[in-house]
Amino acid sequence: MNAIVEVDGLRKVFEPDIRAVDGISFRVDRGEVFGFLGPNGAGKSTTIKVLTTLLRPTSGGVRVDGHDVVREAAAVRRVIGYAAQEVGVDDDLTGRENLVLQCRLYHLPPGQIPDRVDELLKTVDLGEAADRPAGTYSGGMRKRLDLAMGLIHKPKLLFLDEPTTGLDPQNRRALWEYIKGLNDAGTTIFLTTQYMEEADRLADRLAIIDRGRIVAEGTPAALKAEIGADVVQIAFREDGGEAAGRARSVLAQIPGITGVQDFEDGLSVYAQGGPALVPQIVRALDAAHAEVARLTLAGPSLDDVFLKHTGHTMRVEEVRRPSRMLMGRGRRRRR
Amino acid sequence: MSDGNVIVESYVVFGRWIRKTLRTPAFLFFSLVQPIVWFVLFTQSFARIADIPGFLALTGTDSYLTYFSAAVILQTIIASSMQSGMGMVTDMESGFLDKLRVAPIHRISILTGKVASDGFRILIQTLVIVALGAALGVRIASGVPGLLVILALAVLFGMAWAGISMFIALATKNSEATLMISMLTTFPLLFLSTAVMPKAFLPEWVQGVATYNPLSYIADALHALTISGFEWGALGGAFAIVAVVGAVTLLATTAMFRRAVSA
Repeated sequence: MNAIVEVDGLRKVFEPDIRAVDGISFRVDRGEVFGFLGPNGAGKSTTIKVLTTLLRPTSGGVRVDGHDVVREAAAVRRVIGYAAQEVGVDDDLTGRENLVLQCRLYHLPPGQIPDRVDELLKTVDLGEAADRPAGTYSGGMRKRLDLAMGLIHKPKLLFLDEPTTGLDPQNRRALWEYIKGLNDAGTTIFLTTQYMEEADRLADRLAIIDRGRIVAEGTPAALKAEIGADVVQIAFREDGGEAAGRARSVLAQIPGITGVQDFEDGLSVYAQGGPALVPQIVRALDAAHAEVARLTLAGPSLDDVFLKHTGHTMRVEEVRRPSRMLMGRGRRRRR
Repeated sequence: MSDGNVIVESYVVFGRWIRKTLRTPAFLFFSLVQPIVWFVLFTQSFARIADIPGFLALTGTDSYLTYFSAAVILQTIIASSMQSGMGMVTDMESGFLDKLRVAPIHRISILTGKVASDGFRILIQTLVIVALGAALGVRIASGVPGLLVILALAVLFGMAWAGISMFIALATKNSEATLMISMLTTFPLLFLSTAVMPKAFLPEWVQGVATYNPLSYIADALHALTISGFEWGALGGAFAIVAVVGAVTLLATTAMFRRAVSA
């Protein structure tokens, strides 16, 4: 029994007929960081809400630490921690008060609460801000407080729903460190993300989800190795895809090229031994009168894995500036 | 269900709301400024209502201020209980409710703790009004025991009435709608009751409404306790109304709450 999460044929259909999660199966092993990677609306949050007993599945079996999430919800709640995408901290209370409240909700003996709260404040570096109302915190601080609130009872399994969405790169990296530290200390982590880099850095294993279905599963390295090739991305000077069309037919004839995919306005070419093939590719494109605007060669990324399995890109704006409107002290984003 | 007992868990939730309430400037406003405005404006503008022949005979007092103090208590209970659902909507929107839902507690504590905090808020506000009334010269005929009954009635009726706002909040999940609907459905009832005017002075159709208006029964009991003393008929009527209103809103709110928090 090494699995802490076992999901078998999970479906969640919202009225009238929105299949948010459409028959997925996977398992999470004890001690690992399991990543759920997919674009907005892919079904990540719905899955996490079923696993945390917040939503009832339409069908399928879901067990957490051996307990059925529907019939033994109370037992499941005792072993899990959860930090939602929308930060559930109480803005009127200070950071410390939020944590004390959470300790009492998790039935910690009153004598242990002050020490536990201090320890958690230290873990997430909120010691100095502990006695300020959470409403005055920055987006990164709120996320950290929220994370600490999910850790009160030292859960075996921690669910993080898009833990770094909306954070700037610096705060994001800091949060990654906390997550890694927790995992090193023995906590199994299930996290969802729409960021390739995050999945790549943190996850021991990951599932790629798109439109309610899991399209690929494995370690990041194995998934990338599956591509079995380097990736040459080509953008054309000419609009309308005619150049791409001509290029596609000539490129397919080059030995060593294992696949050609549309990518935005150009093509993604999967090539074994990429560097050696570049001159040949350029000559072939030239012969096909396909004028190249840009050509890049890279090892495969999770982006390529996603593209290969779904036929489209994730199209997420990778984090630029933190969006104050979404994450700042402004209270709420409606669901 | 969970590791703890429902009373302790409700108390934890209760404590959170009390802390929040005391930190909200709106609390100070509703508790102090509004009753002062009501007391001063209404009793000044309508002082001469007490001169209408029959007022003394009907009410037992020649002071509109004394008569009106029951209306201020009732108005405050209603205004305060209307806010009850707002906090629940805020928690739904912020994601805090989900945090409570994944905690290993009896989910009903989320509701009982909140409603208990509404009762406590109403207790404080009623005390403020009684003190304010005393400062303006209102004497409670039934004395200290009567004051305790007034407070008990205010808290119990307030919690029962808060169920309306809570029900709307859980049904609409929208704070504007909650405030608007609670205001429109409950506030006019105050003026269609015996709270501000003896029944015989009301137009005939309003008398008809007042007879079936639960607020009239609470107002009558508050009037009795303030003006004449313990009138068991009026008190019995008021507590019966509290029981009926409370049972209805408790059932409706609990059902709606279970729907809102269940998966």
